[in-house]
Amino acid sequence: MRQWKKLLMIGLTVALGASIATAMLNVMLDVGDKINEELKTYGSNITVLPQSEAVMNKLYDVENGEEKNEYIKESQLGELLTIFWANNITDFAPLTDTEVSFGGKNVKLVGSWFDHHLEFVKKGTTYQRDTGIINLRSWWDIKDGKWLDEQKLDSANYAMIGAELAKEQNIKAGDTITVNSEKGSQTLKVTGIFESGDDEDQCIYTPLGVAQKLTGSDGMFKKAEVSAITSPDDELAVKAAKNPSLLSGDEYDLWYCTAYVSSICFQIQEAIPEASASAVRQIADSEGKILEKTQLLMSLITLMSLIGATLGISNLVTSGVMERSQELALLKAVGATNGQVTGLILTEIIATAIVGAGAGYFMGYAFAQIIGQTVFSSSIEMSGMVAFIVIVLIIAVTLVGSIPAIRMLLRLRPSEVLHGGH
Amino acid sequence: MSLLELKDVSKVYGDLHALDHANLTVDKGEWIAIMGPSGSGKSTMMNIISCMDRPSSGKVIFDGKDITKESRRKLTEFHRDKIGLVFQQFHLINYLSAVENVMVAQYYHSMPDEKEALEALERVGLKDRARHLPSQLSGGEQQRVCIARALINSPELILADEPTGNLDEANENIVLDIFRQLHKEGTSLVVVTHDPEVGEVAQRIVRLDHGKIVSDKKNDNFSE
Amino acid sequence: MNKKQRMFIRMVLASLVRRRSRMIVALLAIVVGATILSGLGMIYYDVPRQMSSQFRSYGANIIFTPSGDESISDRELKSGISFISQEELEGYTPYRYENSQIHNIPVTLAGIDFGSVLKTSPYWHINGSMPSGDGETLVGAKMAESLGLSVGDSVSVINSFQMTADTDRTNIPDYEITKDPETGEEYCDHSLDLKVSGILETGGSEEEYIYVTMKDISYLTLTERGYDIVEVSVASMQDTLKSYTEKISSGVSEISAKLVKRVTASESTVLTKLESLVFIVTLVVLALTMICVATTMMAVIAERRKEIGLRKALGALNSSIIMEFMCEGLVLGAVGGILGSVLGYYFADLVSMNVFSSSITFRPLLIPITIIASVLVTGLACLIPIKSAVDVDPALVLKGE
Repeated sequence: MRQWKKLLMIGLTVALGASIATAMLNVMLDVGDKINEELKTYGSNITVLPQSEAVMNKLYDVENGEEKNEYIKESQLGELLTIFWANNITDFAPLTDTEVSFGGKNVKLVGSWFDHHLEFVKKGTTYQRDTGIINLRSWWDIKDGKWLDEQKLDSANYAMIGAELAKEQNIKAGDTITVNSEKGSQTLKVTGIFESGDDEDQCIYTPLGVAQKLTGSDGMFKKAEVSAITSPDDELAVKAAKNPSLLSGDEYDLWYCTAYVSSICFQIQEAIPEASASAVRQIADSEGKILEKTQLLMSLITLMSLIGATLGISNLVTSGVMERSQELALLKAVGATNGQVTGLILTEIIATAIVGAGAGYFMGYAFAQIIGQTVFSSSIEMSGMVAFIVIVLIIAVTLVGSIPAIRMLLRLRPSEVLHGGH
Repeated sequence: MSLLELKDVSKVYGDLHALDHANLTVDKGEWIAIMGPSGSGKSTMMNIISCMDRPSSGKVIFDGKDITKESRRKLTEFHRDKIGLVFQQFHLINYLSAVENVMVAQYYHSMPDEKEALEALERVGLKDRARHLPSQLSGGEQQRVCIARALINSPELILADEPTGNLDEANENIVLDIFRQLHKEGTSLVVVTHDPEVGEVAQRIVRLDHGKIVSDKKNDNFSE
Repeated sequence: MNKKQRMFIRMVLASLVRRRSRMIVALLAIVVGATILSGLGMIYYDVPRQMSSQFRSYGANIIFTPSGDESISDRELKSGISFISQEELEGYTPYRYENSQIHNIPVTLAGIDFGSVLKTSPYWHINGSMPSGDGETLVGAKMAESLGLSVGDSVSVINSFQMTADTDRTNIPDYEITKDPETGEEYCDHSLDLKVSGILETGGSEEEYIYVTMKDISYLTLTERGYDIVEVSVASMQDTLKSYTEKISSGVSEISAKLVKRVTASESTVLTKLESLVFIVTLVVLALTMICVATTMMAVIAERRKEIGLRKALGALNSSIIMEFMCEGLVLGAVGGILGSVLGYYFADLVSMNVFSSSITFRPLLIPITIIASVLVTGLACLIPIKSAVDVDPALVLKGE
């Protein structure tokens, strides 16, 4: 009966240790993705421009090419949903900017998607996504009114206005404004005033259709912002960034199948041949740095917890076995060999450890989910590898914990124990 | 004058009558051996005498006082002041030296005094082993420490439970010699044993079987 | 001190010293727990500060612009900067923009200090090298593409204007001046020859400028003036930054200081998450570790049930047994807590050095907290098994096993 309690105690400690290990390892492995998602608040890390613009600009003596060369077809943007790393693309939006005259001066007007519902059909598969600048401008403060809700508003003639411009022109949410361009004039209803803290405070944002009408570029856009979850750059990524075609076959495959910002850019160019995608260094580099630091921090915290957990377990196992020295000496006194006694102890301890580790794994799962839900409001992905690591770790730790006790047992002379000390 | 009186004492564990209407009187200065096979109720009787257990029915009168109904705390104090215990398993505290083990008894009784404790060890012939830990002592030596501990507070009664159960013959004789000495000094002794050799040296022999006292007579072979 | 108290201390010490292997087991458990408490505690308190400086890789989070039409003078800039705590200030870069021409194509020149610009724009990727001084230039990648420039090329920037009577001619060589023979008006093509040291890649609008030193830009434009914009990078949280901008804007009337919302708002979002991540991880790990400590202590005490029974048989009152064992536990807890808080500090420092390459801030308050916590946990963990052991009949314990 008392032995039962003892094993229960060891089992409990093993379970606690295993749950720390499980929770921490899973959180550690998933923290990169989670923080990466959070870093999306900094906005897009990839810019997509028309390829032709890049080519044209090289020949600087060609001042302005054909108008349409400055644009990409809006219908092409859905291709982003079909690339290898499509799931890593969290948001994207096309943007067309143009100068309009408004309130007696020239003002920048940007047309884009706000919370656009995109449906894209390719080879019989329908891809769907709600995307737009609501997520790409997460730092905007809506000072008055509310976000322009593209899906709810029946007509496209709405706008949002930057705080400085609104103040200057004394405009409130709900007002109606008129803007003029070479191609025509447009009356817009203001749904909200935003503060961005940069030069966009002087801008007007409208649905893409409005900007297309004002520039005469139906079905086109000038630039797209893409926000993607990426892996921090390493040597391979730096090498590939120079010229992917210089990579060896294996390197190329590895690069292509890793979510480097450069490989995602490359895949975007593959999907939309008329576009050129490049990384926004300010965002992409900093993301890499912060991710790296966070992951390193979490790994070291995990390491610390693992050391703590393993010490705790092996400690208790040691004391648990030592405590039974009398009983075990008795076994030796009645003729059990060292091997038999050791075998008995190990079987018992390891069986307890496995049961404990199993229970601990599920406890750890719960803890990981609690952490995920509280901090990131999303669940932590459980890696199968962790289960394996935890089991191996626990068994190893239990064995190591038994070593001092077993050594002591082997040295033990039964008569000593049965007479002495207790 | 009687030191201890068990009046119609029974102890029932479930269906088992560990002690069945036992009556026993121990006079001051008397040396009694309680004998019987295992399971005869010796230990139960011993626990009841030592105030570590209460009877299911009947009365225990110690020094003219009915202690059956006393509170636990009173019982503990009572037992501490009047009784010294000697165990089969010695039960020494393994991280305390011989003299310290003796002093623990003083500590809980009144005031620890190393000099007195050393004197007690001297009485059992262990003065030179006083600083040793139990693990450094032989079984016989440990039992003598246990006895020294039992008599340090000058109890009116020494209760010994199979005091020689774990000892060889030589040590057994040493322990019995100490008991003789104590008896001579006027200490009352109750020795629970199944070993005839230990029983035969007592003044009076009480035999138990199945919880009942089957015989209670003077030992004719007893020699002072 | 009377004999009784001396004996008490003697017993507690004997138990601690002579039961060495058991005590080490218990102490180890407590030290591990205390190390984790103080180590994770220190890391938790230091994460915002340490991460905040990592977030500076996003570049400037405050910008100064002139509040009127005048540019910001050096003196105004200095007094604006003086509002910011020196420890938090990562760096600042003033910019002066001028329009000019290369090969008849209009370009925008930006005058900066090449030595400090990476403090506020650490994400700049430079092919080639950063210009070391006057006469060298850094060309934005888009500009370089348009102009067909590459590293090592030489380029002439031309500032064309009509000479007036007021024009200061001291820095204009004669050959740059052409005279219209008909009207007699003089025109100047003032040129600045530059060597392209590096091409700047950022993926943003910075690629559209040509960067030169302040001295070169003054030479080219023949005017000395202040700055159009100053980028400032401060390692601090949004609220502090906000108060800086308010103080500066009201303290130096010529400057309007603004937060770069994209950077500050996002940083506070992410940092808050990170902080709560470390917090809850600390909490979970700590709770589990403390339970571990408790189970170990319980095991260590439970092992002494027999001894407790014996002491009772010797006439010890429950209260005095509890006191002796608790005293032992508390000594262990205190020693473990002290060791653990020291080890925890070293561990936190190790983590900090490895992750952030800077040492951890020592939090003295965490030491008493760690010690108190380990004493409490150990005490509680001892109390439970002691209580259950003293309630057991000594006869059962002594006989029964």
